[in-house]
Amino acid sequence: MPRDLHPVAWWLWAIGLAAAASLTTNPLVLLTIVAVVAVVVAARRTHHAWARSFRFYLWLAAVVVVLRVLWRVLLGGGYPGDVVLDLPQVPLPDAVRGVTLLGPVTSQTLLAGLYDGLRLATLVICVGAANSLANPKRLLRSLPPALYELGTVLVVAVTVLPQLTQSIQRVRAAQSLRAGDTGRVRRLRRFLVPVLEDTFDRSLALAAGMDTRGYGRSGAATPRERRTTGALVLGGLCGTLVGVYALLDQTAPRLLAGPMLALGVAVAVAGLVNAGRRVQRTRYRADRWRPAEVAVVATGLAVAVLGWWVSEHQATVAYPGLDAVPQVSLAALVAGVLGVLAAVVSPPPRTPGAPR
Amino acid sequence: MTAPAQVRAVPLSPRSRATIAVASLLGLAMLCWPLLVRVGDGVSRVDPPFLFLLLAPVVIAVVVAEMSEGGMDARVLALLGVLSAVNALLRVLSAGTAGVELVFFLLILAGRVFGAGFGFVLGVTSLFASALLTAGVGPWLPFQMLCAAWVGLGAGLLPRRLTGRAELLVLAAYGVVAAYLYGALMNLSGWPFLLGVAVPGVDGDLTFDPTAGPLDNLRTFAVYTLITSTASFDTGRAITTAVAVLVLGPAVLATLRRASRRAVVVAATTGTGPAPAPSTPHAPS
Repeated sequence: MPRDLHPVAWWLWAIGLAAAASLTTNPLVLLTIVAVVAVVVAARRTHHAWARSFRFYLWLAAVVVVLRVLWRVLLGGGYPGDVVLDLPQVPLPDAVRGVTLLGPVTSQTLLAGLYDGLRLATLVICVGAANSLANPKRLLRSLPPALYELGTVLVVAVTVLPQLTQSIQRVRAAQSLRAGDTGRVRRLRRFLVPVLEDTFDRSLALAAGMDTRGYGRSGAATPRERRTTGALVLGGLCGTLVGVYALLDQTAPRLLAGPMLALGVAVAVAGLVNAGRRVQRTRYRADRWRPAEVAVVATGLAVAVLGWWVSEHQATVAYPGLDAVPQVSLAALVAGVLGVLAAVVSPPPRTPGAPR
Repeated sequence: MTAPAQVRAVPLSPRSRATIAVASLLGLAMLCWPLLVRVGDGVSRVDPPFLFLLLAPVVIAVVVAEMSEGGMDARVLALLGVLSAVNALLRVLSAGTAGVELVFFLLILAGRVFGAGFGFVLGVTSLFASALLTAGVGPWLPFQMLCAAWVGLGAGLLPRRLTGRAELLVLAAYGVVAAYLYGALMNLSGWPFLLGVAVPGVDGDLTFDPTAGPLDNLRTFAVYTLITSTASFDTGRAITTAVAVLVLGPAVLATLRRASRRAVVVAATTGTGPAPAPSTPHAPS
């Protein structure tokens, strides 16, 4: 039966694919992932406005790749290897020590730029897919309860915008009827103040409406609960900080890197959950997790795990050398293709006019 | 009656301040990771830590949750929402024209009037809202949100006694500094991703080299950012922000302060004393 999938499910699926893409520079695998993403988007995107944004991300990804390769050519060679194009070298003045422009372009230079650029481009495309598949308004509704205020603010912002353009038009119309300063700055000021005033008036009216409907939260948490949350959040963030530092400083004990990072994030998220327990709100027609959602997320997770496995155990496949045709193993190929299952297990989106 | 120079729309408890401080350190570490990397022996390849792209939104979510745990008044929520919408509109309107970015101007003025906590949250929500509107949610968004949050936070932390022309000048100067810093930080976060990581034995390009020391990398990065953006985009942003603050600042500040008098219910605990208790009094209407 046609229905819209839970937006969080699409995001998790896309993050899984992006994680797999971030763990390889093999162009064959990356292009497979891009193809899979494109197929799923084509099959499962809705008719809404945001669903058309995928094209923009594709262009952006293309720009990333081109930019990356151009940088490599412009900023020089230096890579030993087969010279494809012998450009003259342009040394820069001493101030920018050690930088030369242009120079011989080797195929290795081009490939290095291309592979790295493709990886970033794939990441961008995965995020773009999530953007065009998931309904942002419903995504806001699925924010964790602790972020209820943030969600409210964003909903207000998104809904107020059309009214803002109306108020701009109204002020413009009113001012065109009146004489007044014609200087540019004065005119801008004369225009801006009424629009802002109008906006704030509206926000106060909105706030009064929100108050009567019980929006906004009075801090009902007891000091003790707040202490617990604060301790969890602070402790978690400190742990994460240590973990991030150890992850970067590879001479630090490894126990501080992965495990500490995971522990810190877990504790911080526990703080987030604890903060959310105070918020008792029901959601109108909440999105539910059904088998299709779980299956889509499982697909993304499987892709990520397979990608990680390939990068750990088949380094030559995950990071191919620059002087040979990249090879693909069965696991890498499966990691690339598996994501397309999401298009099979998810229900088709609702189309306007179709019977419910 | 003149409105106070600053009200605290989102009061920050000592715990919230500590959380923001730790989270800011964490964010800075994730932004400046190329300067922190130290490679162990026998490691041949360094990849950009893509994990940070996932970690940054979690950190922001946790901080905002902690800040809002004491509850937020509906008026503050509505004000935040409306200002975010205006900011998002300004961002959409000013995008495209090279370097002319108007987001910071209102963010700085609002941070000044409504306080550091409000500025922080407004930075987060403004960029999030504009990303939602233009479908511009990308891997870069969490870092932009974090940097914009700092811009709003810093504006709220400027000395409160300044008034009149001095206030405007300080705000404009702050806008210039913030615009350059924002550009440099965003560049730093994108640098290894966009240019790649140097391979041992190859030099002469502007890529990040994990085996070199932080100072060497900082120098390389300085050249990179000078060439790519400091001279063009960042300067454009700095000039736009400063001019907007100077020209439109007086009118907008007055408007914001009028709104703040109506919208923010000042608890009995304002002032420079110890942080307010978590309870928010209800608005007398």
